[in-house]
Amino acid sequence: MSFAADLRAVLADDQVLDHPLDLHVYAKDAGVTPGIVAAVVFPESSEQVAAAVKIAAKHEVPIVARGAGTGLSGGAVPTRPGLIVALTRLNQIEEVDEAARTAWVGPGVINLDLSAHTMPLGLHYAPDPSSQSACTIGGNVGTNAGGPHCLAEGTTVSHILALELITAEGEIVMLGGAEPDPLGLDLVGVVVGSEGTMGLVTRILVKLTENPPEVRTLLLAFDSIEAAAAAVSAVIAAGVVPAAMELMDQPMIEAVENFKSCGFPITAAVLIAEVAGHPAAVDSEAAVVAQAGRDAGATEIRIAATEIERDLIWLGRKSAFGAVAYAAPDYYLHDTVVPRTRLVETMSAIYEIGARHGIQMLNVFHAGDGNLHPLVAFDAKEPGMLERVKAAADEMVRVSIGVGGALSGEHGVGLEKRDLMGEVFSPMDLDAQARLREAFDPKGLLNPDKILPEGSRCYDFGLVANLEPDSLK
Amino acid sequence: MPWETSHAPRQHELDACVTCGLCLPKCPTFRLTGSESASPRGRLAAMSAVASDIAIVDSRFDEIMSFCLQCRACEPVCPSVVPFGRAMEGARAETAAQLPHRARKLRALLLGPNGLGSRAAVRVATLLAAVGQRLRLDKLPVRLMTRISGLRRIPLAPQSHLGVLRSSVGERIGSIGLLAGCVQDSWFGGVNDAAVELLARAGYDVHVPTGQTCCGALAAHDGAVAGAESLAAINAAAFSEYDLVVATAAGCSAHLAGYSEWTQSGAAVEDRARDITVVIADAIAAGRLPTLPPRNQEVAIQDPCHLRHAQRIINEPRAIVRAAGYVPVEIDPDGMCCGAAGIYVLTNPETSDELGNKKADQVRASGATLVASANPGCEMQLRTNLGTAYEVKHPIEIYADALRSSYRAAGA
Ligand SMILES: Cc1cc2nc3c(=O)[nH]c(=O)nc-3n(C[C@H](O)[C@H](O)[C@H](O)COP(=O)(O)OP(=O)(O)OC[C@H]3O[C@@H](n4cnc5c(N)ncnc54)[C@H](O)[C@@H]3O)c2cc1C
Ligand code: SF4
Ligand code: SF4
Repeated sequence: MSFAADLRAVLADDQVLDHPLDLHVYAKDAGVTPGIVAAVVFPESSEQVAAAVKIAAKHEVPIVARGAGTGLSGGAVPTRPGLIVALTRLNQIEEVDEAARTAWVGPGVINLDLSAHTMPLGLHYAPDPSSQSACTIGGNVGTNAGGPHCLAEGTTVSHILALELITAEGEIVMLGGAEPDPLGLDLVGVVVGSEGTMGLVTRILVKLTENPPEVRTLLLAFDSIEAAAAAVSAVIAAGVVPAAMELMDQPMIEAVENFKSCGFPITAAVLIAEVAGHPAAVDSEAAVVAQAGRDAGATEIRIAATEIERDLIWLGRKSAFGAVAYAAPDYYLHDTVVPRTRLVETMSAIYEIGARHGIQMLNVFHAGDGNLHPLVAFDAKEPGMLERVKAAADEMVRVSIGVGGALSGEHGVGLEKRDLMGEVFSPMDLDAQARLREAFDPKGLLNPDKILPEGSRCYDFGLVANLEPDSLK
Repeated sequence: MPWETSHAPRQHELDACVTCGLCLPKCPTFRLTGSESASPRGRLAAMSAVASDIAIVDSRFDEIMSFCLQCRACEPVCPSVVPFGRAMEGARAETAAQLPHRARKLRALLLGPNGLGSRAAVRVATLLAAVGQRLRLDKLPVRLMTRISGLRRIPLAPQSHLGVLRSSVGERIGSIGLLAGCVQDSWFGGVNDAAVELLARAGYDVHVPTGQTCCGALAAHDGAVAGAESLAAINAAAFSEYDLVVATAAGCSAHLAGYSEWTQSGAAVEDRARDITVVIADAIAAGRLPTLPPRNQEVAIQDPCHLRHAQRIINEPRAIVRAAGYVPVEIDPDGMCCGAAGIYVLTNPETSDELGNKKADQVRASGATLVASANPGCEMQLRTNLGTAYEVKHPIEIYADALRSSYRAAGA
């Protein structure tokens, strides 16, 4: 039987799409590179996911998991004719355990929906990517997503206790457990951030976080990026880890003000800091942040007095991306991490690269953990523009790596940064990663061509030769 | 040429989409199916595929486009301000032009100048519906009749407002041409009564010109281009002389706001077009209509899509209900479509029912038994799904009723 006929034998008609127009629609995510799709399925249970995986394995068709498709690195699009397993229908919030502060959720649950659901219990799901109104928990697991509030709380991986995984063979396995530190290998840690290359996640046990009884949100203005960065370091040095610390540069502030008018001062840099916790603690912590700001030469310090003022500050921050989409026909969003101590010099290098290639750049970043998000606004219709943008992008990533940074802060490696992996990892590192992947996916059918560049596996590395796939399971 | 009509999706409209996916969770059909092909981004991708000759306008393209409610919930969240509703009307124009099968021809006829645009045709349909209601035909398992049960009791010979002329009370602010609306005029006469009365009190000379016709929204949504164009031309002429052109149905006011697409002189209508809720709320805010004493009763607010999403009118209905003395209660933070969506109730009944039931559940959960809805299609849908224990009214009717009873009390 044909591939699609095999799929239809186990799934209902409305669970399989293979019309060329649907395949075209599924050929892209929020990134820039299109892929090739053979069929799309919408399983409604773990068993159906397993069945679809088995059929794809039988036909040797690559398998790519997809959540909301808000990924920015092409993670959810197949590079060769592949099966897209859309997990959007596995969107049940199954059990919320108020006492243990955990919930079992389907991968298709939308990030913000989960927090809205647990709000009456005074709990929320902490990782808050700017796309949280749209992206799924499954996709967050796939990319190990982060957000402004991950500074104190940690990224997705710190909030996942257990996973149900459909393996490349179509078996259903459970990894991790409800207890905080289960015995044995940390396989949950292996799967989180693996972009669908280790298996398809069908159920997730997430940690819920208590809503802080009190928060203070501050907005500090500076007349240079350096001064703002110095304030960030001073806050951390003073032993305070705010819930969030976000920096925006002047072009970005202007774009945001133009888009949403949140009352941000138009100045070289704005730092948004939020401290959360018990009422007594937040005031003293807010005082530390304000003092650090003053010492670094802040030209203005505001502390939000009302919920409305606080929302307005966050609206400004969370509209950064929209402001760029509003202002320019095309955009390219970078995502790298550098050590916080090297923030200032990296920023200067990035501005220099932008100026040299003649591209307009706007910056917003999670300053607390050195996660940079330069946004390039451009018009792809301008001849040669795309090449310039891509060349500048490559240079920026190389600069970040040069100061000891990582390739991706939170958006994943996917396709778009795959070929830069060699800049960060030695051949031996890449080989070890390739072997780990082989252990999970011996036939190479799970999201192939992603993350690891071709030739990562060097068979002549005797050192790791005894690490047989089975020993990892 | 992949496209055949002048209304087809335009390249700049399609290019505006940066494929971020932020619109997906707001889209009712995406929420129901989880399918990209039933999402705003997917529909734009399908249009782009045709525009760049990768795909053609075939029956699958038609299905993807027809499944869209045209609720425009995807517009306010879009950072790139993609004019989705406009592009979708273009896609519908193309399917109508390129796949002219029989059902669509019949629909085009019903929606054009000889159908909703014709007073005689609407009168016949209204009489049939009124008779049907009295004979309790709604007990029959006929879809249309079930819908009729969701109407208020339809008068056998409805009083049309066409030709009504009312002078301003007190200081004159300006003149208003009122679009009676084909459904509103025949089946929801009370709304137009309230409009004429309140606008006059607020200082406007009100006229409901006889030369007007159906606004053409349903025709435009369905791709019945010729119908939509001729209806718009008739109205542009009929309303050329007033300071403001006001519609009492959100679907009509939203369509008037995009009239330049449909007729040459449309831009002049666009500039002066207002939804009744905006004019009344402004008059209340300016003190030209009174704020009535509180009465401690809750009113559930249902936001019609063509008010909230298409025109971003959110505060006005609440302000009117509050000025009437009631406490507005929210039922849905996203303002998701109730499933009525013009003729969608007839073309996609299952999806329409699913959404209608969800909306009814939201109303029930609020505890309020009076619902404010500023669009006749939504009102019918709510009545059908809520049953007779609930009352559904236009916010200006709620306000006018309260105003009348306060005058009666003062007189007594
Ligand atoms: C406007 C905007 C702002 C953004 N802001 C942030 C931000 O602040 N922080 C951040 O980290 N990211 C951000 N992103 C990127 C993106 O939203 C995240 O990567 C998100 O985690 C993707 O979720 P998704 O449901 O869309 O997954 P998809 O894009 O569908 O998939 C992402 C990857 O995960 C894999 N995957 C999906 N579901 C599963 C599953 N069930 N099992 C196994 N693998 C799976 C896919 O194969 C793919 O490789 C932003 C994106 C946009 C468009
Ligand atoms: S108009 Fe409504 S149904 Fe259509 S794509 Fe937009 S949100 Fe979805
Ligand atoms: S929100 Fe706008 S830009 Fe983003 S995918 Fe939807 S239509 Fe495209």
